[in-house]
Amino acid sequence: MTVIPDTPPAAEPAAGPAAGPGGERGTGRTVARYALAKIGGAALSIGMVVVATFFLFRLIPGDPAIAYTRDVPLSPEQLDLLRRQMGLDKPLLQQFLDFVWRTLRLDLGTSYEYKRPVTELIAERTGPTLVLVGTGLVIAVSLGLWQGTRAAWRHGSRFDRFSTGLSLVLWSVPTFWLGLLLLMVFAAGVGPIPGIFPTRGMEDIDAPGGPMYLLHVAHHLVLPCLTLVAVVYAQYLLVMRSSLLDEIGQDYVTTARAKGLRDDQVRRRHAVPNALLPTVTLVFIHIGFVVGGAVSVETVYSWPGLGLLFYEAIQGPDFAVMQGTFMVVCTAVIVMNTLADVAYHVLDPRVRSA
Amino acid sequence: MTRVGARLAALGLTLLLVALPAAQAQAGQQVPQAVQEPQQGKKIVRLGVTQAVDSMNPFLAVRLVSSSIHRWMYGYLTVPDSKTLQPSPDLAESWETSDDNLTWTFKIRDAKWSDGKPVTAQDAVWTFNTIMTVDAAKQANGPAVENFESVTAPDDRTLVIKTKKPQASMLENPIPIMPKHVWEGVGDIGAFENDRYPVVSSGPYVVVEHKKDAYVKLKANPTYWRGAPKIDELHVLFYQNPEAANAGLKKGDIDLIGRLNAPQFEALAGDPNIVQWNTPGRRSAYLQLNHGAQTIDNKPVGDGHPALKDPKVRQAIHYAIDKQALVEQVQNGLAVPADGSIVPPMYQEFFWKAEGDDLVTHDAAKANQILDDAGYKKGADGIRTMPDGERKLEMRFSIHTDTPVEDKLAQFLTGWFKDIGIALSTKKLDSNKFTEETGFTGLFDIAISGWSVNPDPEEVLATHLCSRRPTASGEGGGTESFYCDPEYEKLYQQQLSELDRAKRVDLIKQMQRRLYTDAPVIALYYPNNLEGYRKDRIAAITPIPEDKGILYGGSGYWPVYSLQAAALPAGPADGGSGTGLIVGAVVIVVALGAGGFLLARRRRSVADERE
Repeated sequence: MTVIPDTPPAAEPAAGPAAGPGGERGTGRTVARYALAKIGGAALSIGMVVVATFFLFRLIPGDPAIAYTRDVPLSPEQLDLLRRQMGLDKPLLQQFLDFVWRTLRLDLGTSYEYKRPVTELIAERTGPTLVLVGTGLVIAVSLGLWQGTRAAWRHGSRFDRFSTGLSLVLWSVPTFWLGLLLLMVFAAGVGPIPGIFPTRGMEDIDAPGGPMYLLHVAHHLVLPCLTLVAVVYAQYLLVMRSSLLDEIGQDYVTTARAKGLRDDQVRRRHAVPNALLPTVTLVFIHIGFVVGGAVSVETVYSWPGLGLLFYEAIQGPDFAVMQGTFMVVCTAVIVMNTLADVAYHVLDPRVRSA
Repeated sequence: MTRVGARLAALGLTLLLVALPAAQAQAGQQVPQAVQEPQQGKKIVRLGVTQAVDSMNPFLAVRLVSSSIHRWMYGYLTVPDSKTLQPSPDLAESWETSDDNLTWTFKIRDAKWSDGKPVTAQDAVWTFNTIMTVDAAKQANGPAVENFESVTAPDDRTLVIKTKKPQASMLENPIPIMPKHVWEGVGDIGAFENDRYPVVSSGPYVVVEHKKDAYVKLKANPTYWRGAPKIDELHVLFYQNPEAANAGLKKGDIDLIGRLNAPQFEALAGDPNIVQWNTPGRRSAYLQLNHGAQTIDNKPVGDGHPALKDPKVRQAIHYAIDKQALVEQVQNGLAVPADGSIVPPMYQEFFWKAEGDDLVTHDAAKANQILDDAGYKKGADGIRTMPDGERKLEMRFSIHTDTPVEDKLAQFLTGWFKDIGIALSTKKLDSNKFTEETGFTGLFDIAISGWSVNPDPEEVLATHLCSRRPTASGEGGGTESFYCDPEYEKLYQQQLSELDRAKRVDLIKQMQRRLYTDAPVIALYYPNNLEGYRKDRIAAITPIPEDKGILYGGSGYWPVYSLQAAALPAGPADGGSGTGLIVGAVVIVVALGAGGFLLARRRRSVADERE
């Protein structure tokens, strides 16, 4: 499997003409112009996300008022009242304009189910998600980069075959299944293996305060985080491995070796920094997805994050919450992509000069 | 590790250190004091629930888990009796009705709120009037006050409710009485989360902490008028994943779990510490037949098969179904075949049982006979056609996607229907589309359906009224069958105002008989209520009804009020997780150490090889 990162095209219309070949003097201005163009593009994308969000979620069949009150007997009058409260009685265009105007004021509406502002719900859930996915991502990136580097440097070795094979197997495993399996074994306990980790959530009732609280959460974090890392680290490993393999064949590596540098130094000072570039993009893109949480993992472990919020909203369906989380996630991805583009531009002179 | 790796690790640590206190701050804002209390010797029972609390505000909450918790914390006018399920005194000590049956006078009990203030009739007046006058407060229980003309309190112990029409279901009023002195100053009721802990209430338990999508912590109410519960704390823990909840029960993270499906229930077998609690259920599963769906202004909607308009065809279908086989094969024997209609036999008083000529049993020959006599001739392919010869009896069976039970059901039905010359094809729909097609657009022939019934079946009976059909503009009105039958309507109106309980029970049974014989819906089976609890933690619990009833999902507070816990060994929940914490930490440290060692070794060996 190959994961091809979304590298920015070599020639950027905004940067090309002004900079010209070897345009060293104009670099600062070019970067600024480049960044501005990128930010403009990102703003446009976010605007389109807002529009798409509204209509996308209206395509979901069913009457939200009915769907929401499934299994609850309601009189027709009460249903009408509910529709009025949801704003569903207005014409679609009116609903759309209201939606855009509210979104512009950063008001993502009120959840039908929780009867609370969506922004508040999202803010509440962001903490747990950052803890889980943030930790998971950092571990996955470190592990992936380290293993990828080793695997490429000694490609064909047993270590290479083993780590590539293992990561691919884990990558192919359904997250939900792996999570449940780990939960059954290490949280519930099977046979002689005692269940040493909790079966649910981020914290228990009567969680300790102060520094012990960190340990308490860390204890709850182990299994969800392990699941997340197992499933995602393969992509960092493979991208790192393949881009380092490309670099190993380059003349400058041979030159560095010829200078008599130690193997370790050749790798660390020369090959790896160049091989890291595609990975940077990948990492940035994934930081964007961090915000969306890991829906499967959060569902299995009842982790009270954004992924769980989204999952529950779909079951509602709680339009406002779905729209809100969807927009927040999209925006995060767009922003991070833009940052990746700009960072790439700064990091790699080849992008500027081409 | 490479320098980049080291930097990433540092970044990770920073992120963790920044994010954790933020998460803790959120926890902290809801939990001011809870953590410092001593834990030793407390009697705690922990319930696992697989539904998240939607709101702790009783005016807004509609989910079962929320209304259950409200049942445990608030007082009501009446509560279902633990043996008969008939209304019995709760905050209302006694009551009487006027001769015209329009005025109810309740005597309010001398009870106290958990903050020490007395419960008065003024509290009830405020509660009912708020729902009657404030739109935002109607969400949970609006229909319950629709027929109220006025609610007043001549004195602190007397509550007078005047109704527009006689209301037989008055004593099943589902509205918790709220403390006026607390709620008066709330402001916008639609935006209040009822999160001033401890929440002032008058029932057996008081909510002291609630963390959304995580847990609710309740404490025994020492001022409760029946006497404080025998346990100190009741914890309600939320699991998004039912399998994880099951694992939690086996491990001992929770002590009781309700609403299990058959496979989850069977997974609990063989554990010496777990009691599998299998009792008659509140639910009936039935088929909905599109017998000519219409909107409320009698305009046809949808595309139901015309043959289903014929009661004879519906009856033949009823004869074709082997309910006993469905119970055994589809429900693993954990259900009761339906010899009745939409009210399950758990409600002995209201349950109507088909007998004599009414009773429909599995009889394919009889079904074929009925269809032959009615002129539906079998073609060469074994499929019947309409008497006018125009259309074959090819029908769709709508079920939900991702529900293995319904898939299995569809297979059995398809076989039986083939025996009587009806070709059945399965149509799978996601739940929203399903609700739309079977609830208001009428784009179905036969669909699976089901409903949970309350101690008073009025609500479920109302889902088959003419007025519940979709509006003229095509919006759903809450019908479960598109049924509109003059006889059924008449019986419904009569039972509404029949205050003589025996007579009303009879009317309600007649309605079920009408549904059974006319067959707009065909009840298949009544799934059992499946629960499990740890007997090493729960010393005693009284189900509702008392002999063989429900533990978690039942009506009223009897099961949780009667809970008795085995006292935990010193340092409960915490002790267990503390040990786990240490073991977990050791595991992590060992893993990291081993990783580091391997890493160092590998680096050296790689360097050795190359240089």
